[in-house]
Amino acid sequence: MPSIWKTLIAGAAMLATATGAMAADWTPPGPIKLLIAFRAGGGADTQARLIAETLEDKLGWKFIPEQATGKGGLTMAAALKKAPADGTVVGMAVTETFGYNMAAAPNAGMKPSDFAGITTTAGFQMGVVSASSKGWKSIDDMIAAAKGGEPIRFGVMSPRLADIAYLLGKAQGVDFNIVSVQGGRAVLDGVNAGDLDVGFMAGIQRAGVAAGDLVNLASALSVPLEQTPDAPTLATLGVEFDSDGQFLFVGPAGMPQDAIDTMAKAIAETISDAESKPGGLIKKAFGGPVIIQGAELDAQLEAGFQSSEALLKAASE
Amino acid sequence: MGTLDYIWLGILAVFQGPEFVSLAGISISVTLAMIFFGFLLGVAVGATPGLAGPIAMAISLPILISIFGFTPDALLPVLGFLIGIMKGATIGGAVPAILFNTPGTPDAFMTTLDGHPMARRGLGGKALRVAHFSSVTGDTFSDIVLIICAPFLALLVEGYLDLPEKAALLILSMSFIAAAVGGSLAKGLISTGLGLLAAYVGTGQDFYPRLSIGNEALSEGFPLASTVLGVLIVGAVLHELALYWRRRDDGTAGTVMETEANQRLSLREIGRLMPYIGRSAVVGTMIGALPGIGSTLAATIGYTVGKRRYQKVRKDDALDFGEGVPEGVAATEAANSSVSGANLIPVLSLGIPGNAAAVFLILAAESIGGFTPGPSVFKFTTDQVNPELVIAFGLFTCMFLANLMNWTIGGVFMRAMAVMTRIPKQVLLPVVLLLTLTAIYVQETAMAAVWFTLGFGVLGYLMRVLAISPLPFVIAFILGGRLEDTSRQAFAATGGDPWFLVSSPVSIAFMALTAIVVVAAIRRGRTD
Repeated sequence: MPSIWKTLIAGAAMLATATGAMAADWTPPGPIKLLIAFRAGGGADTQARLIAETLEDKLGWKFIPEQATGKGGLTMAAALKKAPADGTVVGMAVTETFGYNMAAAPNAGMKPSDFAGITTTAGFQMGVVSASSKGWKSIDDMIAAAKGGEPIRFGVMSPRLADIAYLLGKAQGVDFNIVSVQGGRAVLDGVNAGDLDVGFMAGIQRAGVAAGDLVNLASALSVPLEQTPDAPTLATLGVEFDSDGQFLFVGPAGMPQDAIDTMAKAIAETISDAESKPGGLIKKAFGGPVIIQGAELDAQLEAGFQSSEALLKAASE
Repeated sequence: MGTLDYIWLGILAVFQGPEFVSLAGISISVTLAMIFFGFLLGVAVGATPGLAGPIAMAISLPILISIFGFTPDALLPVLGFLIGIMKGATIGGAVPAILFNTPGTPDAFMTTLDGHPMARRGLGGKALRVAHFSSVTGDTFSDIVLIICAPFLALLVEGYLDLPEKAALLILSMSFIAAAVGGSLAKGLISTGLGLLAAYVGTGQDFYPRLSIGNEALSEGFPLASTVLGVLIVGAVLHELALYWRRRDDGTAGTVMETEANQRLSLREIGRLMPYIGRSAVVGTMIGALPGIGSTLAATIGYTVGKRRYQKVRKDDALDFGEGVPEGVAATEAANSSVSGANLIPVLSLGIPGNAAAVFLILAAESIGGFTPGPSVFKFTTDQVNPELVIAFGLFTCMFLANLMNWTIGGVFMRAMAVMTRIPKQVLLPVVLLLTLTAIYVQETAMAAVWFTLGFGVLGYLMRVLAISPLPFVIAFILGGRLEDTSRQAFAATGGDPWFLVSSPVSIAFMALTAIVVVAAIRRGRTD
């Protein structure tokens, strides 16, 4: 055989193995258990399940989604920490779980380095939202009402947000009645039913705001909200903390790097495609994908854990 | 999106779901097929002494969830199956009561009083027809009341009740259940208290899992399915086995006699029965709407009311109640069947379950997700579809389809189920136990859940031995989390007012009613 053919065949063979290897750097040794830290049926839960479903179709993997709710994601994290680090168990939560919640619960004995970040999927469009029937056009109207003696019920869905609501009141010289409920849907229901006057909502308010039933009074992020860019951010209202954060997939510490990379890549591809089911949901409900991976993600989780000490201290004063 | 659009969407959701089979070009949806299978199973378990609708619902639920998954699409097929069981079991219970003098379900005990004497006189077939007709009439009436009342009650609750009033209403409901179920207030309260205690293990807002004594398995709390199935099903099986062990020498002789040629029900006879069926349906529906009282009391009251009327109109030479008159069967069966629809009024409008069947419907909705029974379901949003409301109307459609099956083919299946009475208990009970534990493991995939189930089974057994009803335990366990959340929220929302439970006229009224319920139960206990 002429040597040129030999080279070509060898080259083709190499190419074939290379693309083959790229398509499946890593295949899970069995079905993957997906621990979801959110209540079944909510937006976050749907996001997790749709991503799992799409990966099943695309890669032929098998996911077993399972609810592990409670304690701001710490229930899920505790289960994940004990799970085998071979890629067969992953979890979905929010970055807050690994920051504020782990810092606030030293008894639980968990820190971000017990986990391996896989990828973030989306941020929140976290707003301070009231029903338009309250008649408040801006956050100033609400503060004025509070100063006028009207008790304001402020719905929050996590201890970190309760602290931020408290600091917002403190900065503006008013006291809110801060009511903790479970999940963003419960805040939305409470505001709609009149049980709550105002509350934090992380994207679920979008349709209501568009229809004119709800008002984004302020952005609880470090940046303005996409839907209501004119609403002031917390920083301009005198609060030096914000509720920035993302949904993320994590595994237990020590998960093989090729498993992390393969999963991170597959998830990122799925959610970046606005035509796919999870991509469409993320675009619609959470303002588009936010993808942070690898060392950058691990560093961000560690930083969130460290900086939460400051918020805990500020809120306890 | 008007009300009619929602009703139409609900009906479509049942008929248009994924196809199960296509018969002669007509597509049968999975939901429709599941209602049918559930209905068949319901008739069979209702007719089997020692089994009842709730047991079948409990065992099928985890299996159904593992088949259909946790997506909102699973809601209607799974709930349809459970509703089918619920409806089928209401007619099945009368079969062994009439033919063998052993009630298939506890609420069919009064049916034996007249049904069995009728069978002994050779009118077994007729007694079954009376039972079937009365059951289905009462049930349908109750469903109509449910569909009319539930949305209005829900809107009323959502419109007028604030957080403190909602907390007071939960306290009132639990006290009412504790006082109404079983004979003694103290036992009811013990049962409720234990349920709350179990609900508070490992839960709460604090990041530290409370009451878990450092145990990892306890730190996530008791799984809902383990607790409910353990106390209700495993406890009942253990209790039945113990009874069987003691009484295994007793044999019950069967008497299926159809000597009379005419076993059919004429229109004239139906006309004669209607006053009894009507009264009992109203009694059963009213009792059903109150959480916790249940169908056995409804049957007793229906029978008593019927008896009183019968003695006024009876000719001197005619048979009396208790000697085998169709009116007695009709009064009992209409009353115990009309409980089931009305029992869903507090479930759908308040999220408060009133009996074991309702407990399993809530368990199904909570496990699958995407449908939270309670006042928020009935939000008639116009700008976008409220999917929970569509599911609610889908449920109503399922109920009417099951009723339709009851009307059309129920009688035939019911009479064919006499054979179920022959299944020996020593075979049946271990099978139920094994199925329950398997079902739990399928759903929870952890051995800890199986141990919890067995533990709660022992608790359920001891409660039965001590004549403590396990129903308040289960209902308190389900409502415990909500009671805590609502109370915390009401406390926070009122700016930390410790008197939030007596801060408005409505909440004061609820708390006063709570006190009255408790005092009345104590007084009743003294006079008994």
